[in-house]
Amino acid sequence: MTVTPSVLELKGEMLMLNVLRLQDVNVDNIEAALQKKRDEAPMFFIQSPIVVDCSDLSAEQGNLLDLRALRRILVKMDFVPVGLRGISNSMLAASMSAGWNVLRSATKRPAKLKKATETVVNNKNWLNENNQDKEAFTQPEKDVTKIEEIAEIRAGMTIERPVRSGQQIYAKNADLVVLSQTSAGSEVMADGSIHVYGPLRGRVLAGVKGDKTARIFCRSLEAELIVIAGCYQLLDESNTDLKGQPAMIRLEDEKLIIEPLD
Amino acid sequence: MSKVIVVTSGKGGVGKTTTSAAFAAGLASKGYRTAVIDFDVGLRNLDLIMGVERRVVYDFVNVINGEATLRQALIKDKRVDNLFILPASQTRDKEALTKEGVESVINELKEDGFEYIVCDSPAGIEKGAFMALYFADEAIIVTNPEVSSVRDSDRILGILQSKSQAAINGETVKEHLIITRYSPERVNNGDMISLEDIVNILSVPLLGVIPESKAVLQASNSGVPVIMDVKSKAGQAYMDMVERYLGEDVPHRFLDVKKKGFFKKLFG
Repeated sequence: MTVTPSVLELKGEMLMLNVLRLQDVNVDNIEAALQKKRDEAPMFFIQSPIVVDCSDLSAEQGNLLDLRALRRILVKMDFVPVGLRGISNSMLAASMSAGWNVLRSATKRPAKLKKATETVVNNKNWLNENNQDKEAFTQPEKDVTKIEEIAEIRAGMTIERPVRSGQQIYAKNADLVVLSQTSAGSEVMADGSIHVYGPLRGRVLAGVKGDKTARIFCRSLEAELIVIAGCYQLLDESNTDLKGQPAMIRLEDEKLIIEPLD
Repeated sequence: MSKVIVVTSGKGGVGKTTTSAAFAAGLASKGYRTAVIDFDVGLRNLDLIMGVERRVVYDFVNVINGEATLRQALIKDKRVDNLFILPASQTRDKEALTKEGVESVINELKEDGFEYIVCDSPAGIEKGAFMALYFADEAIIVTNPEVSSVRDSDRILGILQSKSQAAINGETVKEHLIITRYSPERVNNGDMISLEDIVNILSVPLLGVIPESKAVLQASNSGVPVIMDVKSKAGQAYMDMVERYLGEDVPHRFLDVKKKGFFKKLFG
């Protein structure tokens, strides 16, 4: 009997990388500007992966861009060019021949809600075809939109009255604050975190769209069911000694952790 | 200013109609012009408990359909001045209740100078119950010291604060809690939920606790609102509740287990 040796392991990982959003196609200008940025923190940029985003460029501008020279500059500055993004179809051939990987352009969905489930392998197929990975790549570049989205999330939803049996409250793209109790047989849900200042007795679902950083806070934990990003637990099946106590619930390694709030 | 008060519970058989009758009779006995409407179309009971079942000519649905005037349908109580009963129809179903129809009847009662309009809700969360609570300014939630009753009351509170006209207009319906069929002995034995626990679960201000009493059944069967049986504990507790509702500071009674004397212990 032979045991097949393990060939590889494929797992999801988030990767920090830089996105260079071009507004000019003059390679000398790009080099000068980038050099300046790099000199601000030279150690930080050494061997760091970089994606070039051309979505701000028009088709004509794109065709004028010297992709080969651009790649040379990046390598010279110790960046690791990962690929191009946001290019027009007319640039496709030039990109390939200049040795660039082409990434599909970013979607407008909030980056923090996405999952990067693929392993980071520098493989052309993977870069071109995997939908999930390009989302991981879009993350750092989307800082501005991310801040706006977070501001939106912060706006939150506040419920002043008790949430009764049979009622359902959903805070879309937001945190939920319930100032009173939630009754047995009720359901409170939020894309963000949930805070309940009265007794929490019903079902409670935080991070409904998959935000694993969402948390549940309550003054008295008496919930029937607790869920964060799809990970659920019946409180009666939990061995926590915090039932009826102030508690915070968070997700760690796909497990719900119930901690005292004080 | 007239007030519309719904007496509701979600669950059936907890004492809504008994409470409606007692509460309306109590308000009327205090000098307020009061009407009590039976919303339980198809299963009318209020007229029986009020002892007017043989005086029903026209009913709530007749008025809604324009087959009778409100004045023709309202039955004046012979024992208490200021008390009027609008009976439900026994031969129709709850689909006969329309929002516009109910609203016009309530408005007409208001114009007629009724200070309190008590709406006796049917059980359940369907159309009849919805119609009864839709126009309410205040709600009396009737609960028994029993888990399913408490749960159903919680449910109806949710509907009240989300589906009623007041809720839709961004206002809140004032809530009052009545616990009926309360037996301190059985609470002590652990058979019943204590009133502290009920108030804690529902977080609604407690308006009254009505002790379990044979007088309630006797009163119902003889068509006399139990509040008129001033010797019974239930009757006294209902009068306390009415006075408390009207703003008087009345302590709760009948909450403790009474010590049985020697003979009581011997003979039960």
